[in-house]
Amino acid sequence: MPMGHTATAQAGSGGLTATEHRLANGLRVVLSEDHLTPVAAVCLWYDVGSRHEVEGRTGLAHLFEHLMFQGSKQVQGNGHFELVQGAGGSLNGTTSFERTNYFETMPAHQLELALWLEADRMGSLLAALDDESMENQRDVVKNERRQRYDNVPYGTAFERLTALAYPEGHPYHHTPIGSMADLDAATLEDARNFFRTYYAPNNAVLSVVGDIDPEQTLAWIEKYFGSIPSHDGKQPPRDGTLPETIGGQLREVVVEEVPARALMAAYRLPHDGTRECDAADIALTVLGGGESSRLHNRLVRRDRTAVAAGFGLLRLAGAPSLGWLDVKTSGGVEVPDIESAVDDELARFAAEGPTPEEMERAQAQLEREWLDRLGTVAGRADELCRYAVLFGDPQLALTAVQRVLDVTADEVRAVAQARLRPDNRAVLVYEPAGTDHSEQEEEGADQ
Amino acid sequence: MSDAAVSLTSMEFHPQPRPGTAKPWAFPAPERGTLDNGLTVLRCHRPGQQVVAVEIFLAAPLEAEPEGLDGVATIMARALSEGTDKHSAEEFAAELERCGATLDAHADHPGVRISLEVPVSRLAKALGLVAEALRAPAFADSEVERLVRNRLDEIPHEIANPARRAAMQLSKELFPATSRMSRPRQGTEATVAGIDSAAVRAFFEAHVRPATATAVVVGDLTGVDLDAVLADTLGAWTGDTAEPRPVPPVTADDTGRVIIVDRPGAVQTQLLIGRIGPDRHDRVWPAQVLGTYCLGGTLTSRLDKVLREEKGYTYGVRAFGQVLRSGPQGGAAMLAISGSVDTPNTGPALDDLWKVLRTLAAEGLTDAERETAVQNLVGVAPLKYETAASVAGTLADQVEQHLPDDFQAQLYARLAETGTVEATAAVVSAFPTDRLVTVLVGDAARIKEPVEALGLGEVTVVTG
Repeated sequence: MPMGHTATAQAGSGGLTATEHRLANGLRVVLSEDHLTPVAAVCLWYDVGSRHEVEGRTGLAHLFEHLMFQGSKQVQGNGHFELVQGAGGSLNGTTSFERTNYFETMPAHQLELALWLEADRMGSLLAALDDESMENQRDVVKNERRQRYDNVPYGTAFERLTALAYPEGHPYHHTPIGSMADLDAATLEDARNFFRTYYAPNNAVLSVVGDIDPEQTLAWIEKYFGSIPSHDGKQPPRDGTLPETIGGQLREVVVEEVPARALMAAYRLPHDGTRECDAADIALTVLGGGESSRLHNRLVRRDRTAVAAGFGLLRLAGAPSLGWLDVKTSGGVEVPDIESAVDDELARFAAEGPTPEEMERAQAQLEREWLDRLGTVAGRADELCRYAVLFGDPQLALTAVQRVLDVTADEVRAVAQARLRPDNRAVLVYEPAGTDHSEQEEEGADQ
Repeated sequence: MSDAAVSLTSMEFHPQPRPGTAKPWAFPAPERGTLDNGLTVLRCHRPGQQVVAVEIFLAAPLEAEPEGLDGVATIMARALSEGTDKHSAEEFAAELERCGATLDAHADHPGVRISLEVPVSRLAKALGLVAEALRAPAFADSEVERLVRNRLDEIPHEIANPARRAAMQLSKELFPATSRMSRPRQGTEATVAGIDSAAVRAFFEAHVRPATATAVVVGDLTGVDLDAVLADTLGAWTGDTAEPRPVPPVTADDTGRVIIVDRPGAVQTQLLIGRIGPDRHDRVWPAQVLGTYCLGGTLTSRLDKVLREEKGYTYGVRAFGQVLRSGPQGGAAMLAISGSVDTPNTGPALDDLWKVLRTLAAEGLTDAERETAVQNLVGVAPLKYETAASVAGTLADQVEQHLPDDFQAQLYARLAETGTVEATAAVVSAFPTDRLVTVLVGDAARIKEPVEALGLGEVTVVTG
């Protein structure tokens, strides 16, 4: 009864539709009409992320994303921000391993402005890019790194886990924020070359969702983007192929000023876009999503050894996905106690699989997350781009939730058995500095 | 270079397009009613929003917590979903998640807020669980004990977070020690440790009843017999009546001064600069919103124009006004500037920040700034209120601040009517350069001297 507990009559597309178009210069366009609210979302995904960066230039894709807001031929300085916000819109850009996205949500009558702005920077960023904005945004990004990673407890955990889980030289070994040294080393010429290489209409997908007239929208897109020349300088990213499992446990212990011990781990999981990845999503939800998950019940409710315990899934298409375990210990509890309980739960789950009730709960949770994501025009625009860029078919966004609901308990058990094993994980342990390690410090002082 | 030159010459440029005709949009007007048990209900149909948002406001304010038991409102809020007369804690969580629902409850100065989000097809079942939690919470000893321990474990994590630590210190500085507002909302290690199930139940019985509660229901309610759903769920909750508690006056000491919370080795300084000021009941509110946006609402506002986009000292600094507690007779909002700057540039960044404030006071806002701010604040409304959760959140805020249901709708009209002079006056009086309390969480050894040189008032250092 895979449909027995769906929340909507039309689980899946929910009645949404999207049309696809391609300009002569290779720009792919996805349009989706929805007239419930007078707003329109514009989303542009460039098929470039930190996985395309080369050694010594980590963080360049993200630094470059900042430069995209520093003006272009017809847009002065911060004009992109000023014009969008002054039109009652909201906007931003983000950079991940696999893509860089830019988005504006506009009152419907201001849609054309957003298209004009995106086209101007896609076609003419280099007319405005200069040393001043490069130096300024380098400092801003370094402060972003300090604020989000270096100056908060456990802030570098994600960076350390990915560095462990993906070997040296692998395109996903480093995270999008990059290193301070590489941010310092990036030059204006690097940024220019990055633009020339990756910021081409034939390396992007543009989606427009909301209260739009598709014919008029397409005409505007043709008008503003149509004359931007395509180019093919892009090299494919370095090969991200890895064996399905790590084949042995990797481990790093960090002694740092943190408020409590922590056990974190990254499990190597199936690629995004596969049925196995959806099964893994359900497995992680049953084990560590929400307050009725197995790990929460075991560690937080029953053993009372953890403040919080959960699993997250980082879906990746160009490399194995990551299942991210995060447990913060309670009081003086030691990490090995947590670790054996986690292993115990994972092994039991791999042997037994989820119960029917657990399947129902996990699928209901994942379905609501999808409804949330598709419930705003901006969320829908982003998902359409995601499926177009990573999997070549935006329509898959509209049926994604159905695929999650189709997964069976056997498939969930199978992926847990194959992947959620101690020999398929990178473990990161945090020990607070100056507590149990005082002895070691004294030894050091004696020497 | 040649590639770029080719690109530039071959792309055809067009002038900036003019906007089309704006379509009318208004902040939704809820329908207000009362159930037989005295529960106030606001409902609002939002077509297309398949995930329904329910916000329940319980008039159980933090200042009602008994002496020495700070945090009991928080533990009570959390304990509501940890078992009832029909479900154990684990069963309750499982049943809720089976609905695909999320449930969050937290205690703040005005009272407790319970937020439910659930696909509309499972609204009745989820609302039934929430009603059960309100009607017959178990407050079992072992569950309360666990929540207390869990809360004690959370405290060191909050103190370690620079932004949270700054907020705690600012409250301590601003408000008199006798005021509940001077102390952490969720209690301290000393007070939380003294909370048990009897204290939780006593607080619940004294302050939680349908007659002083309000439920806000927002979403696509097509085909939902909401009256029937409510009657079977929240309508079955019973309780006596009670006079609403008066909102006590809020006072604060905003003598200009600096407190450094020492974090040796910190690579950034977290700054939080604030005082208290007018709330939404005050006629100046729209002008204050407008002026505060111009000062620090976005990265093109005055603060970030200098601190971020010119100097690169920060990833972003924001100015904001956040209502603490509000009623017709009194109340206050926290008016503050927050962000983080790199350690070596802490002195220069604060110097620039005060220059921005002084320039604003001396020269005022420009008409263009005011115009952009109005366009943004009014224009983003349809985007901001696209989801049921955002509409429900604002409606519930209005309820807990004793505002009329059409406050937000009227606010947009008032913003559009607010002139440059009024906005300037409001923001200058919100952020007077000599009446701001500055909290810096950072490396005292490196930042104290440069900060002292700025003459922002007495500088004291406290341990992190």
